[in-house]
Amino acid sequence: MSERKLRPEDDGRDFADAAWSIPSYLLSGIILYGGAGWLLSRWTGVVAFTPIGLILGVVLAIYLVYRKYGS
Amino acid sequence: MSTLTVLAAGTSGADGDVFTPPGLELFNIPPIIPGVPWFTKPVLLALLSTLIVVVFCWSAFAKPKLVPRGVQNVAEYGYMFVRDQVARPFLGKDTDRWMGLLLSIFLMVWVWNLMGVFPLVQFPVASHIAFPVVLAGSIYILKIYLGIKHQGPIGYFKNMMFPPGLPKAIYVLLAPIEFLSNLIIAPFTHAVRLFANMFAGHIILAFFSLVGFWFLFEKLTPLGAPLGVVGVAMTIAMTGFEMFIQFLQAFLFAMLAAMYIGNSLHAEH
Repeated sequence: MSERKLRPEDDGRDFADAAWSIPSYLLSGIILYGGAGWLLSRWTGVVAFTPIGLILGVVLAIYLVYRKYGS
Repeated sequence: MSTLTVLAAGTSGADGDVFTPPGLELFNIPPIIPGVPWFTKPVLLALLSTLIVVVFCWSAFAKPKLVPRGVQNVAEYGYMFVRDQVARPFLGKDTDRWMGLLLSIFLMVWVWNLMGVFPLVQFPVASHIAFPVVLAGSIYILKIYLGIKHQGPIGYFKNMMFPPGLPKAIYVLLAPIEFLSNLIIAPFTHAVRLFANMFAGHIILAFFSLVGFWFLFEKLTPLGAPLGVVGVAMTIAMTGFEMFIQFLQAFLFAMLAAMYIGNSLHAEH
């Protein structure tokens, strides 16, 4: 992220890239870790794994988006 | 507008005394020729759209003049729009190589969508999900092919799943998100975005035109008539709005295609 050189057309590309990728990342995080949590809940019978997984997924996705696009 | 209302009432069963809003039966279309199950109205419209786009581009660009006139003039506006708004932001110096594909996609999807409001035709091709799925699937295959060709089979997946600049330990958790997002969610939303917009738009238009037809012609009552007028007015307003959405979705579909191609040609930063 640090030592890339900025060309004029990069501005639009970065913005659109972020705008269209962020929802996709958030959704992926929720589906992946929420799904894993749900499976764990079914397997162990501990209901709490589902919300834990969902929240973990959102947090990880937001972190990923922040590190990729937030500078 | 009368053709619209008549058609809408004709295709969605407004029988009995109760107003039934149009539903999925709008999209359940019998084959045009009995015994040829694949040849339905959307297939015919898709073929027709191909023909329209080919003839349009042919007549515009087959014998280009230095000073454009007529069709070439119109087509050059379209070309410049796709080049400057769709392709350049994502492809940079590779723009010209991909203009053929991107212009075709844009015009194709736009004509598909316009079929939704074209008088007497009035069926958006992309409201049958198979059409956008095939188009988005082709782009998806192209995206992976280009990525592997330009970044190498390992490099492509490495660049995609392991963006630089993150703490090592966290990759275990983030790489699956990247994988799911880039290889499964992205192509899925690419197709569904176009499909859902056209699907919903068609239902909205059919609903309002049926309201107008039902309360003004089928069951004209003093209380119902104003509602019918509202229905007709909303049909007109929504047709205008729908034409805007149709253009927007064609633009977005082509833009996302350009974005996927661009990201495969050059690794993300």
